[in-house]
Amino acid sequence: MNVQIMCREHQFPPGTKFRAVVELIRQRLAEEPMIKAIKAKTGQDHIVFVLNGRIIREPAYDQTELQEGDDIRWVHPYFGG
Amino acid sequence: MKGVCNKVLKVDLSSGTCKPEKVPDKVYEYFLGGAGMAAYYMWKECPAGTTAFNPANRLTFASGPLNGAAQSGAGKWSAGAISPAFNLNSDSAATASFGIAMKQAGFDAVVCYGRADKPVYVVVDDGRAEIKDASEMWGTDAYQTEDAIHAAQGEDFEVVSIGQAGERLVRFANIQTRKKSFLGRCGLGAVMGSKNLKAVAVRGDNKFQVADPEGLKKLNKAINKRLLEMDNGKPEWLQIQKVGTAMATELFAPQGNLPIKNYSLAGWPEGVEAWHASNYYKKLKVTPWPCKHCVIQCHNKTHVKQGPYAYEGKGPEYESFAMMGFNTMCADVQAISYACELANLYSMDTISLGVIIAFAMEAYEKGLITKADTYGIDLTWGNNEGVVEFTKKIGLRADGIGYLLGEGTKLAAEALGRGATEFAVQMKGQEIAAHNWRAQYISALNYATGCAAGPNHERGNSQHIWVGHITLPEWGIDHVENDERWSWKNAGDRNAKFHDYCNVINSAGHCKFQEFRAYTLSDLTKTLNAIMGLDWTVQDLRECGERITTLQKMLNVRYGWQRGHDFQWPKRFFEPVSEGPAAGKIPIGLGDAIQEYYAVRGWDNDGVPTPELIKRLSMDEYAAGM
Repeated sequence: MNVQIMCREHQFPPGTKFRAVVELIRQRLAEEPMIKAIKAKTGQDHIVFVLNGRIIREPAYDQTELQEGDDIRWVHPYFGG
Repeated sequence: MKGVCNKVLKVDLSSGTCKPEKVPDKVYEYFLGGAGMAAYYMWKECPAGTTAFNPANRLTFASGPLNGAAQSGAGKWSAGAISPAFNLNSDSAATASFGIAMKQAGFDAVVCYGRADKPVYVVVDDGRAEIKDASEMWGTDAYQTEDAIHAAQGEDFEVVSIGQAGERLVRFANIQTRKKSFLGRCGLGAVMGSKNLKAVAVRGDNKFQVADPEGLKKLNKAINKRLLEMDNGKPEWLQIQKVGTAMATELFAPQGNLPIKNYSLAGWPEGVEAWHASNYYKKLKVTPWPCKHCVIQCHNKTHVKQGPYAYEGKGPEYESFAMMGFNTMCADVQAISYACELANLYSMDTISLGVIIAFAMEAYEKGLITKADTYGIDLTWGNNEGVVEFTKKIGLRADGIGYLLGEGTKLAAEALGRGATEFAVQMKGQEIAAHNWRAQYISALNYATGCAAGPNHERGNSQHIWVGHITLPEWGIDHVENDERWSWKNAGDRNAKFHDYCNVINSAGHCKFQEFRAYTLSDLTKTLNAIMGLDWTVQDLRECGERITTLQKMLNVRYGWQRGHDFQWPKRFFEPVSEGPAAGKIPIGLGDAIQEYYAVRGWDNDGVPTPELIKRLSMDEYAAGM
């Protein structure tokens, strides 16, 4: 099953929960200095996920199955400057 | 063309006449509006050999197709002219409602040229235009001017105006609107001053028809909802409505991105603490001051009621306090914010002003200038009062060093001599913005190659691949590893894409800050299609960005740009800092990266668009005027 994460194709087995995408992105960004700084201060990374144009948050990560052609974006917590 | 007025207002200040002019559809399809429209009128009407203060210079205030849509961020508009700072094509953007009101008045742009024989302002009232006497406003500040026009014409006019610095041709003079937003960079306020143009006021009831009203309504609703919900659950210091761009302090420090002590230091813990968002919020008692339709609401208003620096007005944004505070090592938040507001009143760009005051402080430290030159003011690093007082001296062009610094860092350094050019942090005559190239080499490439705003952060924004994690996934930049910030890997391609992205945003009439909040190039493409009746893909949008960038480059060639201008870097680019995350990092290889950028763009080795590129973009008629 193909989904688009930031417009790039990724394959997941049918039945995969959205949580798998969250973990993938969090792992990829774990060493990014701004994410590290925010996490050290607040205990969370505050990355926001968008599924097909709508924001998705806990607890929906475990309740939502990926669908063929999903458009998934993630957004860094930082703003502006 | 749907969604626009299909005409501009031409204002000949020399003859005192105004007339409308129809704009062909192809101009909108090629350049959209905003920055692209300003460049188009430069190309169409402003001949080679024109310099900034020549009456032939075209100063174009231009809205974009998105202006008027009820979508967050759709209030941005632009102005363009030959810059007094670097005498090449330039543009700058602001928000508030002037762009929207200009379309409601019946025009997509107001193109000003010539020079009035006395101070004037232009009134555009629902399709009718008039040039009025501004003699009594001359000498007042930019906010007083807006107040005077509101009193004379009505509160419902949207106004752009200049203060004393614009009148007196400070080369980094800005233009304000609604006392909260500024065409900050490139010195366009001095172009107004050179034309004896104190202000422009617009209002009207024109209804411009969009191609797909229902589709646009649905898009607006979905996009606004998404952007509005972004900050839910975040701590206050990460909520944009609470602190504006002040959140940058804590997040830029770990990256080594802050400009400190005229860009000579990597860290300053006292400054980071002072300018932390929570302290900013507490000291300035800010409240949101949103632009029309914007749900992000990054602008804020201060409420400092007591003390020597009491004021209610514009809360400084990151670029302002970074340059006026960090770069001068000044940690008194109220004093420096007050100095920024003084700069706004006089109409000066706080980025350039912060650089030039830091330059003066370094000159003072090195003994190139003394108290005998500085009106007795102590210009030691960290002297907050000194920054306040020097803002006044430069803004009012006081005789002596105040006047000289109003010429900008390049000319001031050359006049001072004795090695002053060694620490003048500028390129092409404009001061470097507040993103440190040592934290990501692409900043140096962006500063060196910008086509429309000199060494500006915001007209390329490629630093935000790392600094703010903006990506352009539709155009192939979906994720970049952190350690690539110190390599030139794909830098030419990334820089080119970001320049084109900034140009479509600035021409469409949208605010780039939405992109920090999940606004995508797909959103922009769909919105433009719904408004203008286009059938564009995201790749068509890229081609539009390429056209605008190419036109800007052709204009620069017309006005005397040469390859060597991109290679005259500040010496400080190659002076490493000794500690912090960017310790030892200097952009070795910048020259090769510039050449790669030219190649990626389809420019030749001298940085000039090639016939093949011009053919691919169907721009032969524009190349003829290069």
